[in-house]
Amino acid sequence: MPTNLASGTEYDTVGQKRWVWPAFAIPGVVWLSLLFLVPFYAIFAVAMGRIDPILNRPVPEWNPIYWDPTVFAEVIEDLFGGQLSSIALRTIGYVFVASALCVLIGYPVAYFVSRKAGRWRWLWLMLILAPFWINYLMRMMSWVNLLSPDGQVNQILGIFGMETFPDWLSGKHYVVILGLVYGYIPFFILPLFAALDRIDDATLEASRDLGANNAQTFWRVTWPLSRNGVLGGLVIIMLPMFGDYYTPNLLSGSPRTRMLGNTIDQFINQTTSQGSVGAALTIVLMVFVAGLMVYYLRTINRATEEARR
Amino acid sequence: MAYHPRENWNPAHRRRVYTRRDFLQRAAVLGITVPILPSILAACAEREGADTADLAVGTPASPVQQPLFDDNPAIESGLAAEEGPLQLYNWEDYINPEIIPLAEEALGVEIDEFTFLNEEEALAKLSSGEVEADVWFPTSQRIPVAVAASLIQPLNHDYLPSLEANVWPQLADPYYDQGSRYSAPYVLYTTGIGWRTDMVDSADIEGQANPWEVFWNSKYSGNMGLLDSFTDTIAMALFRNGVTDPSQASDADLEAAGDALVELVDLMGVRYTIDGSYAGIPEGRFGLHHAWSGDLVNSQYYWPEGADISVTRYLWPAKSEGSTVNGPISNDTMAVVKGTTRPVLAHQFINFMLDADNALTNFEWVGYQPPQIQMTPEFIIENEYAADFLAGALVAPEDFELDSAWVQGPIDAETEAKWVDQWTRANSGA
Repeated sequence: MPTNLASGTEYDTVGQKRWVWPAFAIPGVVWLSLLFLVPFYAIFAVAMGRIDPILNRPVPEWNPIYWDPTVFAEVIEDLFGGQLSSIALRTIGYVFVASALCVLIGYPVAYFVSRKAGRWRWLWLMLILAPFWINYLMRMMSWVNLLSPDGQVNQILGIFGMETFPDWLSGKHYVVILGLVYGYIPFFILPLFAALDRIDDATLEASRDLGANNAQTFWRVTWPLSRNGVLGGLVIIMLPMFGDYYTPNLLSGSPRTRMLGNTIDQFINQTTSQGSVGAALTIVLMVFVAGLMVYYLRTINRATEEARR
Repeated sequence: MAYHPRENWNPAHRRRVYTRRDFLQRAAVLGITVPILPSILAACAEREGADTADLAVGTPASPVQQPLFDDNPAIESGLAAEEGPLQLYNWEDYINPEIIPLAEEALGVEIDEFTFLNEEEALAKLSSGEVEADVWFPTSQRIPVAVAASLIQPLNHDYLPSLEANVWPQLADPYYDQGSRYSAPYVLYTTGIGWRTDMVDSADIEGQANPWEVFWNSKYSGNMGLLDSFTDTIAMALFRNGVTDPSQASDADLEAAGDALVELVDLMGVRYTIDGSYAGIPEGRFGLHHAWSGDLVNSQYYWPEGADISVTRYLWPAKSEGSTVNGPISNDTMAVVKGTTRPVLAHQFINFMLDADNALTNFEWVGYQPPQIQMTPEFIIENEYAADFLAGALVAPEDFELDSAWVQGPIDAETEAKWVDQWTRANSGA
C-alpha cells in the first residue's frame, strides 16, 4: 500500500484515500442493520420472551440474560417427528418440485430469449414479464376465477367435450405447485437471462470449431457457463417460496396443502398468546433457508476463484 | 405435544422452567446452540413477572360489572367537545363509508379511520401507544382484558342518551359489562351454517337434532368449508360432539374435537377460508360453509348478475327447531380509548352511532345488525333490509338468553395453547 510519507495517509493503487471505497458501504450497512438485524433480533426476542399476564400476548425479551428457550425447543421437537413434521416435509417437497419445474420451463424460455430471439429479444422479455407487473395476490385471485367450477378453464375443457371436471380448488397438490411456479418463474428467468446473455458467442463458435455438435456445445459450454445463473435464480425463488402462505390459502385452503408459512401466519395472526411459537418457527425456517444461501455463495465463490486461475 | 406456554410452569416466578440438559439436547438437533448460547449460559436468570390480573368475565347467566379504578375516571358531564380530527380504530370494512361524512357533519369535525386486521394487533398497538385512537371497536369478549389493562376509560352516560333510549335492554346493560360502564354495543352476530339450497338438501340441516353434523355428511364432500379461525372452528367441533360450554372443555373433549376435524380432511375434503361464506357460496365454490351471520347477509351482494340468490340459507343451531346442540352468539362494542385527548367527541360519536337512523344506515352496508330496539328481525325483513330467506341470520333480543346460546369469554394462554394444538393437528393434513 503506497503511503504519502509527508502526511502518513495511506493510498490505494489508484491514489484514492484508503477509507473512500469502504465508505460507500455505509448506507448498505445502515440499511441492513435497520431493516434486517433489528427486526431479526426482535423476532428472536419474541421467540425467547414471556407472556404478558394481562394482555396474554408475547412480550419481547430484549435482554439475552432472560431469554427462555422453551418455545424453541418445543418447535424443534414438533418439526422433527411432531405434528409440524408433515407440514415441513410438504413445504420442502412443494418448493423443490416447483423449483425443478421453474428450471424445466424457465431455462428454455431464457435460452430462447437471450440467444435465439435476435433483435426482438427485449420485446420477448417484456411480453414474458408484463403479466408480472400485476400484484402477486391479484394474479393468484385471477387463478381462483379461472379454476372455479364455472371458470374459464372448465369452460374451455367443456369445448373439447370434457363433461366432468376436476375440482381444481379443493386441495390439489399440483394446483398449489403450479401456483408457486406461475408466481415465481419470472424471478428465475430474469437472472438466468442475464447469465445466458453474457456468454460470449466466440466461446460457442470455438466449441463448434473444435468439433463439438450443438448438443455437446450446450452441455459442455453453455450449461456450465449458465449454471450460476440457474443457481442464482433458484435462490431468488426458493427463499420466498419457503415462506409463502397465500398461494395455498387462495388456491386450496385445504389442510392437505398447508405450508409452513400458513402455520406461522396461524400462530402470529390468529392467536393471542402463541405468537412466540410463530416467531420461533420463523427463525428455524430462516436457519434452514440460510443453509441454502450459504451453499449458493460457496458455489459462486468457487466459480469465481476458478475463473481467476 | 402441546405448545404449552405454562408447561413446567413455576408459579413463584410465573416463568417456565426448562433444564439446560433438555434444551441442549433439543437445540443440538438444528445446530442452533451457538446463537442461543447466552440463554443457556444464563438459564438461571429469570425476570419477576407481574401477577395475572383477575378478569371480570360474565355470561348471560351470571353477568358481571367491570371494576372502576381511581386512576381511570370517566369524564365530567357538561364538557364542550374538543377539536377534531376524531380517530376511529376499527376492523377493516366494518363501518359504512357513507356514515363517516354524516358523522363529520353532525359532530362538526373531521374523522379519520385506522383499521386493524385482528384484535391481537389492536391490543398490541393500543397498549404500546403506537396507535392513538379515540374510539375503538373491541369484541365484547375483550372488554375484561381491555379494562384490566387500562386500555379503555369508563363512559359517562350523560353524553350517551341514545344508549338507553335505542338499544335492546339486554345489551344496554350487557352481561359482560353491567351498566355499560366501559362499552356500548355496536353490532351482533351468531356463528352457524350457511348453505345453498340448490347444492345442499335443507332437510339435512333444518329440523335436525344436531345441525352441526352436516359438516360431516359425506354427501357434501368437496363442497364444504369451515371458518379459518381456530376459536370458531374448535368450538363448532366441540358443539357437534355434544359439549355445551366449550370454555369448560376437558382435554379429552378437545382431543375428540381435534379428531373430528382431522376426520374431515379425507371424509369431506374440508377447506378453511374466511371468504367462503360470503363470496364462496355465491361463486359456487362452496355449497355449505361455516359462517358468521352477517357474512351471509352480505353474501347477497356477491352473486353474479341475474343469479337466483334466494337459494341462500343460514341456520344458527342454537335456535333451530328440534336442535339439541348449542351455538355461539356475540357482539362487538364501541369504547373510548384511555388517554384520548378527545373524550367528549368520542362519546358524541358513539351516541351518533347509537342513533336509530344512523344505525340503520350503517347496517345497510355492514350487514351486521345493531341491537336497536326498532330493528327486530321482523322490522328488517318487512322493510327489506334483508331478504326473508335469510331470516335465520338475524338476531332477536331474547337470543342471548337462550340456554343453548354460548358466549365466548377471554381465553387464557394455557387454554389457548391446547386449542391451538388441536387446530394445528387438524390443519397439518397428515
